[in-house]
Amino acid sequence: MTLDWSVVWQHRDALIAGTATTFLLTIATMAIAVPCGILVAVLRLYAWRPVRALATGYVELFRNLPLILVVYWAFYVLPILTGLGLSPLATGLAALSLNVTAYNAETFRAGINSIRRGQVEAAMALGMTRAQALRRVIVPQALRRILPVLASTWVSLFKDTSLVSVIAVTELAYVSMQVRAQTFRVLEMLTAMAVLYWLLGYPQAKLVDWMQRRIRVTE
Amino acid sequence: MEFDLAVIGDNWRFLAYGVWITILLSAVSGFASLAAGLFIALLRLYGPRWLRVPIVLYIDSMRAIPVLVVLVWTFFALPIVAGVTMSPFTAALIGLTIHLAAYAAEIVRAGIESVRPGQTRAALALGMSRAQVVRRILLPQAIVRMLPAFGSLLSITIKDTAIASVIAVPELMRQSETVAGQSFQPIEVFSFAMLLYFLMLFPVTRGVDRFYRRVAHLGRS
Repeated sequence: MTLDWSVVWQHRDALIAGTATTFLLTIATMAIAVPCGILVAVLRLYAWRPVRALATGYVELFRNLPLILVVYWAFYVLPILTGLGLSPLATGLAALSLNVTAYNAETFRAGINSIRRGQVEAAMALGMTRAQALRRVIVPQALRRILPVLASTWVSLFKDTSLVSVIAVTELAYVSMQVRAQTFRVLEMLTAMAVLYWLLGYPQAKLVDWMQRRIRVTE
Repeated sequence: MEFDLAVIGDNWRFLAYGVWITILLSAVSGFASLAAGLFIALLRLYGPRWLRVPIVLYIDSMRAIPVLVVLVWTFFALPIVAGVTMSPFTAALIGLTIHLAAYAAEIVRAGIESVRPGQTRAALALGMSRAQVVRRILLPQAIVRMLPAFGSLLSITIKDTAIASVIAVPELMRQSETVAGQSFQPIEVFSFAMLLYFLMLFPVTRGVDRFYRRVAHLGRS
């Protein structure tokens, strides 16, 4: 068994491009999923009953499905449902966004609910409207509880982008496995893929830890 | 959009086998990762000091590396390194257990550390050995507190078995892909698979919640 680690260096351009796509997917998904998550959370808390039920149904559905299945389903069903011919990247983005929006909606809902009712009542007794109470009293405090969870979701999302490789999106996992298929250097490329994800993900995980220590909320 | 359910009727046995493998893989890897996680957490808290660094490194590494990467490496690269050949199911089992044990270890550690240290001090003052303290005072309370997190981890386990389809484990995701590919009816097949996964996952978290609500008082102190 001879190992040839130079294949990793030879294909560094492809691997770097794959890493860039991974980051792009993560950032774009969060950019979509955070506002949508806020919307769904607010719908779930304050809208009238049928809309609340719909929002709850959406959240429960996507929290109870494996992401890889959502990716496949988006790949085959979305073009027929929407009539659009989406690229694999856009399809992967759509699937990831659907999934992460559901998790974010839960995060925002839990964050808002964690602020004691008494504060809302006091704010309204002082003459604020519900919207003002939400904006000035609840959201600033809820943000402290929400941010660490959001950061944790970010790290999970970063790992989950590897799943869109199954629909041939050229992110890091797909590129690594392509190089493996072309060069037949199985151990080298798979280990390099694991090491690359480790190098990218470990600092992010540690950053999340630091953030959770700094923004810890003690009652 | 027309829905032709005949494809499901024709292939239900094939898909049912997938459900069985999913359940089997989830149960075995769930149980194994729980046991391994408990062992690792106890080693980290009460074991020799020099073990702590490798254990923390292992746990943080599993937070950084995706499940897909772990599974693919276990199935394709581990045989080259270790010289053993393994079936896809075994590789998925090993990979999933290694990945999930890290999370389980964190849950166990958080559970044990959530019990007030005063109880440990009181138990030691009463003459109990460290092992007795862990076994009789800490673990019974900690296990109850860990239940919601374990329920969540079980849900994650079942979802992660779907990723094992990438290394050709014949679980539900893989079987659905095969049927969809052969029948050219991906919408019906994947929608049915979604329904099956939802029916498997939804009761798990709800059931754990219900059970926890009944025993939660046992973990309070």
